[in-house]
Amino acid sequence: MTGDPLDALRLPIVPIDPRPEFAAALLRRLEAREEPALGRGATVRYFVDDLDAAVSFYCEQLGFEEELRPSPVFAMLYRGELRLLLSVPSEPHALPDGTLPEPGGWNRISLQVSDLDAAVRALRERGARFRNEIASGVAVRQVLLEDPAGNPIELFEPSAGYHERS
Amino acid sequence: MGTREEPSAGGDPIVAIYHRALPQVYGYFLPRCGSAAVAEDLTAETFMAAVAAARRDPAADVTVAWLVGVARHKLVDHWRRVAREERGLAAVEQEEDGVDDPWQDRLDADAAHAALARLSDPQRLALTLRYLDGLPVAEVAEHLGRTLRGTETLLVRARAALRRVYEEGEP
Repeated sequence: MTGDPLDALRLPIVPIDPRPEFAAALLRRLEAREEPALGRGATVRYFVDDLDAAVSFYCEQLGFEEELRPSPVFAMLYRGELRLLLSVPSEPHALPDGTLPEPGGWNRISLQVSDLDAAVRALRERGARFRNEIASGVAVRQVLLEDPAGNPIELFEPSAGYHERS
Repeated sequence: MGTREEPSAGGDPIVAIYHRALPQVYGYFLPRCGSAAVAEDLTAETFMAAVAAARRDPAADVTVAWLVGVARHKLVDHWRRVAREERGLAAVEQEEDGVDDPWQDRLDADAAHAALARLSDPQRLALTLRYLDGLPVAEVAEHLGRTLRGTETLLVRARAALRRVYEEGEP
């Protein structure tokens, strides 16, 4: 094969510095680009043993909406800007020694309600379980609800001195 | 199974290689479009697009070579835009007969590059990708969104057109 004479057109890149003002301005533009949009709200993952029961509970009792349920062990729910991931403990979540996560514990999501007494009354009527009675905390009244898997959910109602970033 | 969203590592990878990559990207554009203003515009477009692309795909391997690939796409887009704007003025110009292609002598690369600048944009683009950048015909076809056969035909015609202009010398 003889070479193609047009191969003489080959133009390897020779680095050329552009005008310094251009270089500086472009760098400023790149650095000023906004950070990638972070999800607006928070995402929390709860482990549950019965996915159907959990999805029904969160959607019917607490006003969550089902966004995805791509498998029997995972669902994604939304309530406003809170995204709640429900997972049935399974291998991908196992620790190296095989330990699986379990539902329960004491850390919890905290949902604001406008009338705590009414909310608790309605939930009790529908068979929901609570860990305690309504108690007054600092600047809130609150109660601990449990989902069917035994995960706590704090319900609270603001009282005097309540603060959140406006 | 579970969704695993990792927060991306701090620091933009494009900004990190900016000083090394900038002369390469600008050095790619300037001789190929022959205008500092156009080269600056396309350089800026390349970096802005690269930042967006790297954020969409945090696993992207951000290297100078990758940026040059982005730059090549921008050059193709640019010439397509120009060609669209000029269509109607120049569309009829080409009805090639010369399929013979007797390049024999060694090419004076400078004169050939000068001749290239006087071709129509599609021909100039095809020859740039094929010869200046050294891409295989199949990749040229991909960039141009043409079939392999169509690209080969375009290249043959472009070579013939280049030869005519090259042999005419300066107008």
